[in-house]
Amino acid sequence: MTSEIQPPTSWWGDYNVGIGQNRQWRIGPLTLIARCLSAEWQIAHERTGEFDENRATWNVSDTDVPLDTLANIARYIFHETAGLLTLTPLLADRPVISRPHTPFNLPGGETVTLYVSTPLWVDLAVGSSHKKMTEIAIQRPSDTWFGPSTQEGELCYATTTHCRLNLKDLPQRPHRAITPVVIRNQADTTLSVERLNVPAPLLPLYAASNGRLWTPKVTLIREEDGDMAELKFDDTPPQEAQQAIQLNQPRKTTSEGMLIRAFSAVFS
Amino acid sequence: MNGFWADIFNFLSSEKMWDITRAIILIFVGFTLAKLVSSALTKLAGKKVDNHRAMLIKRGSYYLILILFLISALNELGFNLGVLLGAAGILSVAVGFASQTSASNLISGLFLVAERPFTVGDVIRVGTTTGEVLSIDLLSVKLRTFDNLFVRIPNESLIKSEVTTLTRFPIRRIDIQVGVAYKEDLKKVREILNEVADKNPLCLEEPKPLYIFLGFGESSMNIQHSIWTKRENFLELKNSIHEEIKNAFDEQGIEIPFPHRTIYTGSVTEPFPIKQVSNKETQAR
Repeated sequence: MTSEIQPPTSWWGDYNVGIGQNRQWRIGPLTLIARCLSAEWQIAHERTGEFDENRATWNVSDTDVPLDTLANIARYIFHETAGLLTLTPLLADRPVISRPHTPFNLPGGETVTLYVSTPLWVDLAVGSSHKKMTEIAIQRPSDTWFGPSTQEGELCYATTTHCRLNLKDLPQRPHRAITPVVIRNQADTTLSVERLNVPAPLLPLYAASNGRLWTPKVTLIREEDGDMAELKFDDTPPQEAQQAIQLNQPRKTTSEGMLIRAFSAVFS
Repeated sequence: MNGFWADIFNFLSSEKMWDITRAIILIFVGFTLAKLVSSALTKLAGKKVDNHRAMLIKRGSYYLILILFLISALNELGFNLGVLLGAAGILSVAVGFASQTSASNLISGLFLVAERPFTVGDVIRVGTTTGEVLSIDLLSVKLRTFDNLFVRIPNESLIKSEVTTLTRFPIRRIDIQVGVAYKEDLKKVREILNEVADKNPLCLEEPKPLYIFLGFGESSMNIQHSIWTKRENFLELKNSIHEEIKNAFDEQGIEIPFPHRTIYTGSVTEPFPIKQVSNKETQAR
């Protein structure tokens, strides 16, 4: 039996799970069940392979579905469980390489703002001190390699994007965060964008009042000589996110909000 | 009897005895100091350098200090170092001739250390042996194979033979060889293979999977599908991708054939006559 409980406005936040109770979350392709016992938490999760990306929804319910019906199950032992579980969305732990469905060209001197979405993880923490249990990818993105050769480069996640230019066209998806990416081509020649590197571990995450998740604006500048690219990111929520609340800090910190990298490390 | 004790007493109180004592103290101090210094240096350098260099620093500093103290001890005992070194030179030529293999291993070891084709902790393949490098010593390299055996490979054979370092680069390629029946549409096969690779999150999207048509085999068209993965995921992907390809082929009705034999009697002869008989008839006979 599964009963819907009065939903909060977003899937993240604090949940009270009674001892011996199961609570289930469905976030996009992920089904997550948490069971609270007197001295342990049991967390089970499973992802469905086939689901409509553009119609992803979420819901929270009490359930008596046994945990072992899901593919992955883990136990976390505590001295005492208070029954308080906190779910927090997290950005990817590696940079995300976003590939437009159709590569596009940006002539010299042009600037464009694209909306790129990146997959999210769920962080599970318990108690008032927020002891971290685990983090689970809502949708496991494919691995990819980003670098000039097979010997040099870094391991990233790959995702495809429509590179939408208009915010209104963007579907609201609970399992992805949106990054406004500004690309400025200061060189004379046309820039062909096949892949974009979104530095997810360096970005904080914000939640807008309408439930959408945002990261700060990322600016990629192709410099005049064409060999170097500048990568800047703000430390404030983007303009598009209204009344945004910061949900978490970046996974990695850099001393500056700007990186200058080889052209090939930002664009491909 | 008294004379004997007097001799011993004279010897113990002589200058010579003091030299021997000093030499023993020097050797003892040398050992202790070498041990302390080498451990301290390893600890200091521990986080900054890799295992291989840490081991080199430890051994280098240990032997250097020990040799210096041994030389001082010999000096204390009244040995003329110049003569000693000359004698050592002649001795080493003689020993060198007698122990060619060891000398060759020793020199190969020095080259290995300088060339650094692998370091401690790397996984290497030498001939048919694959294992993790435990230590690189002057005479040999010690490996631990994956079935937990200890293998000692002489440095000389490492210098002479082909050594593959499996853990040098962060990503690896898996070559999957698969045969499909002649009736199949190769375009469709290619699409299915790409789709399978695309769905598996461990398979890297870039570098793109490679599709090579190997040729028309005896009973199948042979294809090589090469996919890339993170080094650590090599085995996991190798296992899962074969299963997924088989499942996808079964779903789409693509046949993976086994060797076929068609018996042909030549164009001039008649085909083989085949007679079908029922079970009862066979039993009656």
